[in-house]
Amino acid sequence: MTFQQAAEAHLDDVYGYLAWFTSDRFAAEDLTAVTFERALRLWHRFDPDRGSVRTWLCQVARTVALDHFRSERRRVRREELAAPPEAIDFRFAEGLSPDLESALARLTPGEREVVALRVLLDLDAGTAARVLGISSTNCTTRLNRALKKLEEALHVAA
Amino acid sequence: MSQRDLVAELRAAHVEAPPEVRERVRLIAAGAPTPRRRVTWRRALVVVVPIAAAIAATIVYTRPSHDTSVVERAIAHQPGTVRASIPAAPSGDSAAKAFALPSPTNRVQKYEATLSLRVEHARDVSDGVKRALRITTSFGGYSSAVHAETHGGRATADLTLRIPRARIQAAMAKLAQLGTITDENVSTVDQTALLNTTDREIARLQKQLAALRAQPTSPDNDRRITALVTRIERLQRGEATTRRNAHYATVSLHLETPPATVVQQHTHGPLHGVGVALKWLGIGAVYALAIGAPVAVLLLLLWLGVRIVRRRRENALLEI
Repeated sequence: MTFQQAAEAHLDDVYGYLAWFTSDRFAAEDLTAVTFERALRLWHRFDPDRGSVRTWLCQVARTVALDHFRSERRRVRREELAAPPEAIDFRFAEGLSPDLESALARLTPGEREVVALRVLLDLDAGTAARVLGISSTNCTTRLNRALKKLEEALHVAA
Repeated sequence: MSQRDLVAELRAAHVEAPPEVRERVRLIAAGAPTPRRRVTWRRALVVVVPIAAAIAATIVYTRPSHDTSVVERAIAHQPGTVRASIPAAPSGDSAAKAFALPSPTNRVQKYEATLSLRVEHARDVSDGVKRALRITTSFGGYSSAVHAETHGGRATADLTLRIPRARIQAAMAKLAQLGTITDENVSTVDQTALLNTTDREIARLQKQLAALRAQPTSPDNDRRITALVTRIERLQRGEATTRRNAHYATVSLHLETPPATVVQQHTHGPLHGVGVALKWLGIGAVYALAIGAPVAVLLLLLWLGVRIVRRRRENALLEI
Protein backbone atom coordinates (compact mmCIF):
# COMPACT_ATOMS: atom_id res chain seq x y z
CA MET A 1 0.00 0.00 0.00
CA THR A 2 1.35 3.42 -0.93
CA PHE A 3 1.10 6.48 1.29
CA GLN A 4 -1.44 8.07 -1.07
CA GLN A 5 -3.70 5.04 -0.81
CA ALA A 6 -3.34 4.94 2.99
CA ALA A 7 -4.16 8.64 3.28
CA GLU A 8 -7.18 8.32 1.02
CA ALA A 9 -8.52 5.26 2.85
CA HIS A 10 -8.10 6.49 6.42
CA LEU A 11 -8.53 10.26 6.24
CA ASP A 12 -12.06 10.18 7.68
CA ASP A 13 -10.99 7.88 10.51
CA VAL A 14 -8.10 10.15 11.51
CA TYR A 15 -10.22 13.27 11.25
CA GLY A 16 -13.06 11.69 13.25
CA TYR A 17 -10.69 10.50 15.97
CA LEU A 18 -9.08 13.94 16.27
CA ALA A 19 -12.42 15.76 16.15
CA TRP A 20 -13.86 13.70 19.00
CA PHE A 21 -10.59 13.79 20.93
CA THR A 22 -10.22 17.57 20.78
CA SER A 23 -13.90 18.49 20.43
CA ASP A 24 -12.70 21.35 18.25
CA ARG A 25 -13.42 21.21 14.51
CA PHE A 26 -10.85 23.79 13.49
CA ALA A 27 -8.15 22.23 15.61
CA ALA A 28 -9.06 18.79 14.22
CA GLU A 29 -8.69 20.04 10.66
CA ASP A 30 -5.25 21.48 11.35
CA LEU A 31 -4.16 18.46 13.37
CA THR A 32 -5.31 16.11 10.59
CA ALA A 33 -3.04 17.91 8.12
CA VAL A 34 -0.17 17.89 10.63
CA THR A 35 -0.76 14.19 11.27
CA PHE A 36 -0.43 13.30 7.60
CA GLU A 37 2.62 15.52 7.18
CA ARG A 38 4.30 13.73 10.08
CA ALA A 39 3.12 10.34 8.82
CA LEU A 40 4.67 11.08 5.44
CA ARG A 41 8.02 11.81 7.11
CA LEU A 42 7.78 8.62 9.18
CA TRP A 43 6.31 6.42 6.45
CA HIS A 44 9.62 4.55 5.95
CA ARG A 45 9.37 3.37 9.57
CA PHE A 46 5.91 1.87 9.20
CA ASP A 47 6.06 -1.93 9.47
CA PRO A 48 2.92 -3.76 8.25
CA ASP A 49 3.93 -6.79 10.35
CA ARG A 50 3.45 -4.81 13.56
CA GLY A 51 -0.01 -3.44 12.90
CA SER A 52 -2.43 -1.99 10.38
CA VAL A 53 -2.00 1.38 8.70
CA ARG A 54 -5.06 2.71 10.52
CA THR A 55 -3.61 1.83 13.91
CA TRP A 56 -0.28 3.40 12.99
CA LEU A 57 -1.96 6.58 11.71
CA CYS A 58 -4.00 6.78 14.94
CA GLN A 59 -0.78 6.51 16.96
CA VAL A 60 0.75 9.36 14.96
CA ALA A 61 -2.47 11.38 15.34
CA ARG A 62 -2.44 10.80 19.11
CA THR A 63 1.11 12.15 19.40
CA VAL A 64 0.11 15.20 17.39
CA ALA A 65 -3.02 15.69 19.52
CA LEU A 66 -1.06 15.42 22.79
CA ASP A 67 1.35 18.09 21.54
CA HIS A 68 -1.69 20.22 20.73
CA PHE A 69 -3.15 19.70 24.20
CA ARG A 70 0.13 20.68 25.85
CA SER A 71 0.50 23.87 23.84
CA GLU A 72 -3.19 24.63 24.33
CA ARG A 73 -2.89 24.24 28.08
CA ARG A 74 0.03 26.68 28.15
CA ARG A 75 -1.91 29.14 25.98
CA VAL A 76 -5.06 28.90 28.13
CA ARG A 77 -3.03 29.47 31.30
CA ARG A 78 -1.62 32.63 29.79
CA GLU A 79 -4.84 33.93 28.32
CA GLU A 80 -7.42 33.05 30.96
CA LEU A 81 -5.85 35.66 33.22
CA ALA A 82 -6.89 38.26 30.68
CA ALA A 83 -10.17 36.79 29.43
CA PRO A 84 -12.11 33.55 30.03
CA PRO A 85 -12.05 31.11 27.08
CA GLU A 86 -15.03 31.13 24.75
CA ALA A 87 -17.25 28.07 24.53
CA ILE A 88 -17.02 26.55 21.09
CA ASP A 89 -20.16 25.34 19.44
CA PHE A 90 -19.13 21.99 18.00
CA ARG A 91 -21.04 19.12 16.42
CA PHE A 92 -19.31 15.76 16.90
CA ALA A 93 -21.10 14.00 14.07
CA GLU A 94 -24.10 14.01 11.84
CA GLY A 95 -27.05 12.08 13.23
CA LEU A 96 -26.37 12.49 16.95
CA SER A 97 -29.10 13.81 19.22
CA PRO A 98 -28.44 17.21 20.87
CA ASP A 99 -28.50 15.52 24.29
CA LEU A 100 -25.83 13.07 23.24
CA GLU A 101 -23.76 15.87 21.69
CA SER A 102 -24.02 17.75 24.96
CA ALA A 103 -23.13 14.66 26.98
CA LEU A 104 -20.11 14.00 24.78
CA ALA A 105 -18.93 17.58 25.24
CA ARG A 106 -19.00 17.07 29.00
CA LEU A 107 -16.63 14.09 28.84
CA THR A 108 -12.92 14.62 29.42
CA PRO A 109 -10.57 14.39 26.39
CA GLY A 110 -9.29 11.04 27.69
CA GLU A 111 -12.81 9.62 27.87
CA ARG A 112 -13.80 10.98 24.44
CA GLU A 113 -10.61 9.47 23.01
CA VAL A 114 -11.43 5.95 24.13
CA VAL A 115 -15.04 6.30 22.90
CA ALA A 116 -13.75 7.51 19.52
CA LEU A 117 -11.35 4.60 19.18
CA ARG A 118 -13.63 1.82 20.44
CA VAL A 119 -17.00 3.03 19.18
CA LEU A 120 -16.49 5.48 16.32
CA LEU A 121 -13.52 3.68 14.70
CA ASP A 122 -14.70 0.30 16.01
CA LEU A 123 -11.22 -0.83 17.05
CA ASP A 124 -10.98 -3.93 19.21
CA ALA A 125 -9.76 -3.61 22.81
CA GLY A 126 -6.23 -4.79 22.04
CA THR A 127 -5.70 -2.43 19.12
CA ALA A 128 -7.18 0.55 20.96
CA ALA A 129 -5.03 -0.27 23.98
CA ARG A 130 -1.94 -0.29 21.75
CA VAL A 131 -2.81 3.16 20.42
CA LEU A 132 -3.33 4.46 23.95
CA GLY A 133 -0.24 2.72 25.33
CA ILE A 134 -2.17 0.96 28.08
CA SER A 135 -3.40 -2.58 28.80
CA SER A 136 -6.58 -3.99 27.23
CA THR A 137 -8.23 -4.24 30.66
CA ASN A 138 -7.45 -0.63 31.40
CA CYS A 139 -8.83 0.35 28.02
CA THR A 140 -12.10 -1.52 28.63
CA THR A 141 -12.43 0.02 32.10
CA ARG A 142 -11.95 3.48 30.63
CA LEU A 143 -14.60 2.83 27.98
CA ASN A 144 -17.13 1.52 30.50
CA ARG A 145 -16.54 4.52 32.71
CA ALA A 146 -17.03 6.91 29.77
CA LEU A 147 -20.20 5.16 28.60
CA LYS A 148 -21.62 5.18 32.13
CA LYS A 149 -20.91 8.87 32.36
CA LEU A 150 -22.69 9.44 29.06
CA GLU A 151 -25.61 7.34 30.20
CA GLU A 152 -25.93 9.34 33.41
CA ALA A 153 -25.74 12.63 31.55
CA LEU A 154 -28.48 11.49 29.14
CA HIS A 155 -30.59 10.28 32.07
CA VAL A 156 -30.30 13.68 33.75
CA ALA A 157 -31.14 15.43 30.49
CA ALA A 158 -34.22 13.24 30.06
CA MET B 1 -31.49 5.17 27.04
CA SER B 2 -29.58 1.97 27.76
CA GLN B 3 -25.84 1.64 27.22
CA ARG B 4 -26.48 -0.63 24.21
CA ASP B 5 -28.74 1.99 22.57
CA LEU B 6 -26.16 4.62 23.37
CA VAL B 7 -23.39 2.68 21.62
CA ALA B 8 -25.68 1.97 18.66
CA GLU B 9 -26.42 5.69 18.25
CA LEU B 10 -22.74 6.58 18.54
CA ARG B 11 -21.83 3.91 15.95
CA ALA B 12 -24.50 5.19 13.57
CA ALA B 13 -22.86 8.62 13.65
CA HIS B 14 -20.86 9.45 10.57
CA VAL B 15 -17.86 11.75 10.63
CA GLU B 16 -16.47 12.92 7.33
CA ALA B 17 -13.49 15.16 6.78
CA PRO B 18 -14.33 18.53 5.19
CA PRO B 19 -13.39 18.91 1.49
CA GLU B 20 -10.65 21.48 2.29
CA VAL B 21 -8.96 19.04 4.71
CA ARG B 22 -9.25 16.29 2.10
CA GLU B 23 -7.59 18.56 -0.45
CA ARG B 24 -4.77 19.49 1.95
CA VAL B 25 -4.08 15.85 2.74
CA ARG B 26 -4.19 14.98 -0.95
CA LEU B 27 -1.54 17.64 -1.62
CA ILE B 28 0.61 16.29 1.24
CA ALA B 29 0.28 12.72 -0.01
CA ALA B 30 1.18 13.81 -3.56
CA GLY B 31 4.65 14.69 -2.25
CA ALA B 32 5.25 11.13 -1.13
CA PRO B 33 8.31 9.58 -2.76
CA THR B 34 8.07 6.43 -4.81
CA PRO B 35 7.97 3.47 -2.43
CA ARG B 36 11.36 1.81 -2.15
CA ARG B 37 11.99 -1.79 -1.41
CA ARG B 38 12.17 -1.99 2.36
CA VAL B 39 15.27 -3.61 3.81
CA THR B 40 14.02 -5.56 6.81
CA TRP B 41 16.24 -7.67 9.01
CA ARG B 42 14.75 -10.81 7.50
CA ARG B 43 15.64 -9.69 3.98
CA ALA B 44 19.07 -8.64 5.18
CA LEU B 45 19.54 -12.11 6.72
CA VAL B 46 18.59 -13.77 3.44
CA VAL B 47 21.48 -11.90 1.81
CA VAL B 48 23.97 -11.86 4.67
CA VAL B 49 23.75 -15.53 5.71
CA PRO B 50 24.70 -17.03 2.31
CA ILE B 51 27.52 -14.48 1.93
CA ALA B 52 28.85 -15.29 5.40
CA ALA B 53 28.60 -19.02 4.65
CA ALA B 54 30.45 -18.56 1.37
CA ILE B 55 33.22 -16.57 3.08
CA ALA B 56 33.51 -19.17 5.86
CA ALA B 57 33.65 -22.00 3.32
CA THR B 58 36.32 -20.15 1.34
CA ILE B 59 38.40 -19.64 4.47
CA VAL B 60 38.04 -23.28 5.55
CA TYR B 61 38.85 -24.77 2.15
CA THR B 62 41.65 -22.40 1.18
CA ARG B 63 43.32 -22.62 4.60
CA PRO B 64 46.69 -24.40 4.37
CA SER B 65 46.77 -27.85 5.95
CA HIS B 66 48.54 -28.55 9.24
CA ASP B 67 51.11 -30.71 7.47
CA THR B 68 52.31 -27.90 5.25
CA SER B 69 52.47 -25.41 8.09
CA VAL B 70 54.43 -27.88 10.22
CA VAL B 71 56.92 -28.34 7.40
CA GLU B 72 57.23 -24.59 6.99
CA ARG B 73 57.78 -24.13 10.71
CA ALA B 74 60.37 -26.90 10.75
CA ILE B 75 62.21 -25.28 7.85
CA ALA B 76 61.99 -21.85 9.40
CA HIS B 77 63.52 -23.12 12.64
CA GLN B 78 66.55 -24.70 10.97
CA PRO B 79 69.34 -22.15 11.02
CA GLY B 80 71.33 -21.83 7.82
CA THR B 81 69.01 -23.89 5.68
CA VAL B 82 67.96 -22.79 2.25
CA ARG B 83 64.19 -22.83 1.79
CA ALA B 84 63.04 -24.92 -1.09
CA SER B 85 61.05 -23.03 -3.65
CA ILE B 86 59.26 -26.15 -4.84
CA PRO B 87 56.04 -27.47 -3.24
CA ALA B 88 56.18 -29.65 -0.13
CA ALA B 89 55.32 -32.78 -2.10
CA PRO B 90 56.44 -32.33 -5.67
CA SER B 91 55.90 -34.83 -8.40
CA GLY B 92 58.88 -36.53 -9.99
CA ASP B 93 58.91 -34.22 -13.00
CA SER B 94 58.72 -31.02 -10.99
CA ALA B 95 61.48 -32.26 -8.69
CA ALA B 96 63.63 -33.01 -11.71
CA LYS B 97 63.02 -29.47 -12.98
CA ALA B 98 63.90 -28.10 -9.56
CA PHE B 99 67.28 -29.87 -9.64
CA ALA B 100 67.95 -29.11 -13.27
CA LEU B 101 71.14 -27.09 -13.75
CA PRO B 102 72.92 -26.42 -17.04
CA SER B 103 75.38 -29.22 -17.65
CA PRO B 104 77.44 -28.70 -20.83
CA THR B 105 78.94 -32.01 -21.85
CA ASN B 106 82.34 -30.54 -22.77
CA ARG B 107 82.97 -29.07 -19.32
CA VAL B 108 84.05 -30.74 -16.10
CA GLN B 109 81.91 -29.82 -13.14
CA LYS B 110 81.76 -30.86 -9.50
CA TYR B 111 78.08 -31.44 -8.56
CA GLU B 112 76.88 -31.60 -4.94
CA ALA B 113 73.28 -31.83 -3.77
CA THR B 114 71.61 -31.98 -0.36
CA LEU B 115 68.11 -33.34 -0.09
CA SER B 116 66.10 -33.50 3.17
CA LEU B 117 62.89 -35.49 3.15
CA ARG B 118 60.23 -35.99 5.77
CA VAL B 119 58.41 -39.31 6.06
CA GLU B 120 55.47 -40.15 8.30
CA HIS B 121 56.68 -43.20 10.23
CA ALA B 122 59.95 -44.71 11.45
CA ARG B 123 59.51 -47.75 9.21
CA ASP B 124 59.30 -45.38 6.22
CA VAL B 125 62.85 -44.23 7.03
CA SER B 126 64.12 -47.81 6.85
CA ASP B 127 62.21 -48.43 3.60
CA GLY B 128 63.48 -45.12 2.25
CA VAL B 129 67.11 -46.09 2.87
CA LYS B 130 66.63 -49.37 1.01
CA ARG B 131 64.88 -47.70 -1.91
CA ALA B 132 67.50 -44.93 -2.09
CA LEU B 133 70.28 -47.51 -2.33
CA ARG B 134 68.36 -49.40 -5.04
CA ILE B 135 67.83 -46.16 -7.00
CA THR B 136 71.52 -45.29 -6.71
CA THR B 137 72.58 -48.72 -7.94
CA SER B 138 70.08 -48.66 -10.79
CA PHE B 139 71.65 -45.43 -12.06
CA GLY B 140 75.15 -46.91 -11.89
CA GLY B 141 76.13 -45.19 -8.66
CA TYR B 142 77.14 -46.33 -5.21
CA SER B 143 76.77 -45.27 -1.60
CA SER B 144 79.83 -43.94 0.17
CA ALA B 145 78.20 -43.60 3.62
CA VAL B 146 74.95 -44.69 5.27
CA HIS B 147 73.90 -43.81 8.82
CA ALA B 148 70.45 -44.55 10.26
CA GLU B 149 69.12 -44.39 13.80
CA THR B 150 65.84 -44.66 15.70
CA HIS B 151 65.24 -42.91 19.02
CA GLY B 152 61.94 -42.79 20.92
CA GLY B 153 59.70 -43.19 17.91
CA ARG B 154 61.71 -40.74 15.85
CA ALA B 155 63.96 -42.05 13.09
CA THR B 156 66.59 -40.36 10.95
CA ALA B 157 68.92 -41.54 8.21
CA ASP B 158 71.83 -39.84 6.43
CA LEU B 159 73.18 -41.23 3.18
CA THR B 160 76.00 -40.02 1.00
CA LEU B 161 75.40 -41.26 -2.52
CA ARG B 162 77.65 -41.08 -5.58
CA ILE B 163 75.66 -41.07 -8.79
CA PRO B 164 76.96 -40.60 -12.36
CA ARG B 165 76.77 -36.91 -13.24
CA ALA B 166 75.06 -37.61 -16.55
CA ARG B 167 72.06 -39.26 -14.83
CA ILE B 168 71.84 -37.16 -11.67
CA GLN B 169 68.67 -35.30 -12.60
CA ALA B 170 66.65 -38.45 -13.18
CA ALA B 171 68.07 -39.96 -9.99
CA MET B 172 67.20 -36.87 -7.94
CA ALA B 173 63.64 -36.97 -9.25
CA LYS B 174 63.35 -40.59 -8.07
CA LEU B 175 64.90 -39.81 -4.68
CA ALA B 176 62.57 -36.84 -4.15
CA GLN B 177 59.62 -39.22 -4.35
CA LEU B 178 60.71 -41.01 -1.18
CA GLY B 179 59.10 -38.35 1.06
CA THR B 180 58.09 -34.72 1.43
CA ILE B 181 60.89 -32.31 0.63
CA THR B 182 61.72 -30.08 3.56
CA ASP B 183 65.07 -28.75 2.35
CA GLU B 184 67.14 -28.93 -0.80
CA ASN B 185 70.40 -27.46 -1.95
CA VAL B 186 72.26 -27.94 -5.22
CA SER B 187 75.67 -26.55 -6.09
CA THR B 188 77.98 -27.02 -9.05
CA VAL B 189 81.61 -25.91 -9.28
CA ASP B 190 83.17 -25.69 -12.74
CA GLN B 191 86.63 -27.30 -12.76
CA THR B 192 87.46 -26.98 -16.44
CA ALA B 193 89.67 -23.94 -15.90
CA LEU B 194 91.62 -25.75 -13.17
CA LEU B 195 92.20 -28.73 -15.46
CA ASN B 196 93.30 -26.47 -18.31
CA THR B 197 95.84 -24.83 -16.02
CA THR B 198 97.09 -28.27 -14.97
CA ASP B 199 97.33 -29.37 -18.61
CA ARG B 200 99.38 -26.30 -19.47
CA GLU B 201 101.64 -26.94 -16.46
CA ILE B 202 102.14 -30.58 -17.51
CA ALA B 203 102.94 -29.52 -21.08
CA ARG B 204 105.47 -26.98 -19.83
CA LEU B 205 107.12 -29.57 -17.58
CA GLN B 206 107.20 -32.16 -20.37
CA LYS B 207 108.94 -29.58 -22.57
CA GLN B 208 111.53 -29.01 -19.83
CA LEU B 209 111.90 -32.80 -19.45
CA ALA B 210 112.53 -33.23 -23.20
CA ALA B 211 115.17 -30.48 -23.11
CA LEU B 212 116.91 -32.10 -20.14
CA ARG B 213 116.88 -35.51 -21.81
CA ALA B 214 118.57 -34.00 -24.88
CA GLN B 215 121.51 -32.85 -22.77
CA PRO B 216 124.50 -35.12 -21.90
CA THR B 217 123.98 -37.42 -18.95
CA SER B 218 125.25 -36.19 -15.61
CA PRO B 219 124.26 -36.90 -11.99
CA ASP B 220 122.73 -33.45 -11.63
CA ASN B 221 120.81 -33.80 -14.90
CA ASP B 222 119.48 -37.24 -13.83
CA ARG B 223 118.29 -35.83 -10.48
CA ARG B 224 116.44 -32.97 -12.22
CA ILE B 225 114.85 -35.39 -14.73
CA THR B 226 113.66 -37.62 -11.85
CA ALA B 227 112.15 -34.61 -10.01
CA LEU B 228 110.35 -33.44 -13.16
CA VAL B 229 108.96 -36.91 -13.90
CA THR B 230 107.67 -37.21 -10.31
CA ARG B 231 106.00 -33.82 -10.52
CA ILE B 232 104.41 -34.56 -13.91
CA GLU B 233 103.09 -37.88 -12.61
CA ARG B 234 101.61 -36.21 -9.51
CA LEU B 235 99.87 -33.59 -11.65
CA GLN B 236 98.53 -36.25 -14.00
CA ARG B 237 97.19 -38.30 -11.04
CA GLY B 238 95.52 -35.21 -9.60
CA GLU B 239 93.97 -34.40 -12.96
CA ALA B 240 92.70 -37.97 -13.28
CA THR B 241 91.21 -37.82 -9.76
CA THR B 242 89.44 -34.53 -10.54
CA ARG B 243 87.99 -35.94 -13.76
CA ARG B 244 86.90 -39.13 -11.95
CA ASN B 245 85.29 -37.15 -9.14
CA ALA B 246 83.50 -34.93 -11.62
CA HIS B 247 82.08 -38.01 -13.27
CA TYR B 248 80.08 -38.69 -10.10
CA ALA B 249 77.75 -36.27 -8.34
CA THR B 250 77.61 -36.34 -4.52
CA VAL B 251 74.13 -36.45 -3.04
CA SER B 252 73.61 -36.06 0.73
CA LEU B 253 70.21 -37.53 1.47
CA HIS B 254 68.57 -36.93 4.85
CA LEU B 255 65.42 -38.79 5.85
CA GLU B 256 63.52 -38.08 9.07
CA THR B 257 60.16 -38.45 10.78
CA PRO B 258 58.40 -35.31 12.12
CA PRO B 259 59.52 -34.06 15.55
CA ALA B 260 57.45 -35.35 18.46
CA THR B 261 56.45 -31.84 19.56
CA VAL B 262 55.13 -31.05 16.12
CA VAL B 263 53.17 -34.29 16.05
CA GLN B 264 51.31 -33.16 19.14
CA GLN B 265 50.06 -30.15 17.21
CA HIS B 266 48.34 -32.53 14.81
CA THR B 267 45.86 -33.35 17.59
CA HIS B 268 44.23 -29.95 17.01
CA GLY B 269 41.29 -30.59 14.74
CA PRO B 270 39.81 -28.08 12.33
CA LEU B 271 37.38 -26.93 15.06
CA HIS B 272 40.17 -26.08 17.52
CA GLY B 273 40.02 -22.41 16.46
CA VAL B 274 36.27 -22.35 17.00
CA GLY B 275 36.76 -23.76 20.51
CA VAL B 276 39.32 -21.08 21.35
CA ALA B 277 37.05 -18.36 19.94
CA LEU B 278 34.08 -19.66 21.96
CA LYS B 279 36.20 -19.78 25.10
CA TRP B 280 37.15 -16.12 24.72
CA LEU B 281 33.60 -15.20 23.82
CA GLY B 282 32.47 -16.90 27.05
CA ILE B 283 35.04 -14.96 29.08
CA GLY B 284 33.90 -11.75 27.40
CA ALA B 285 30.26 -12.60 28.07
CA VAL B 286 30.95 -13.14 31.79
CA TYR B 287 32.71 -9.77 32.02
CA ALA B 288 29.93 -8.07 30.05
CA LEU B 289 27.33 -9.65 32.32
CA ALA B 290 29.16 -8.62 35.50
CA ILE B 291 29.54 -5.03 34.34
CA GLY B 292 26.48 -4.73 32.10
CA ALA B 293 23.83 -6.28 34.37
CA PRO B 294 23.87 -3.51 37.02
CA VAL B 295 23.93 -0.87 34.29
CA ALA B 296 21.03 -2.60 32.52
CA VAL B 297 19.01 -2.73 35.77
CA LEU B 298 19.72 0.94 36.38
CA LEU B 299 18.65 1.86 32.85
CA LEU B 300 15.51 -0.24 33.21
CA LEU B 301 14.57 1.52 36.45
CA LEU B 302 15.25 4.88 34.81
CA TRP B 303 13.08 3.96 31.84
CA LEU B 304 10.26 2.80 34.12
CA GLY B 305 10.48 6.02 36.12
CA VAL B 306 10.35 8.18 33.00
CA ARG B 307 7.41 6.14 31.71
CA ILE B 308 5.45 6.53 34.95
CA VAL B 309 6.05 10.28 35.07
CA ARG B 310 5.06 10.65 31.42
CA ARG B 311 1.91 8.58 31.94
CA ARG B 312 0.87 10.69 34.95
CA ARG B 313 1.41 13.92 33.04
CA GLU B 314 -0.54 12.54 30.13
CA ASN B 315 -3.42 11.48 32.38
CA ALA B 316 -3.44 14.93 33.96
CA LEU B 317 -3.47 16.51 30.51
CA LEU B 318 -6.41 14.38 29.36
CA GLU B 319 -8.18 14.71 32.73
CA ILE B 320 -8.36 10.98 33.25
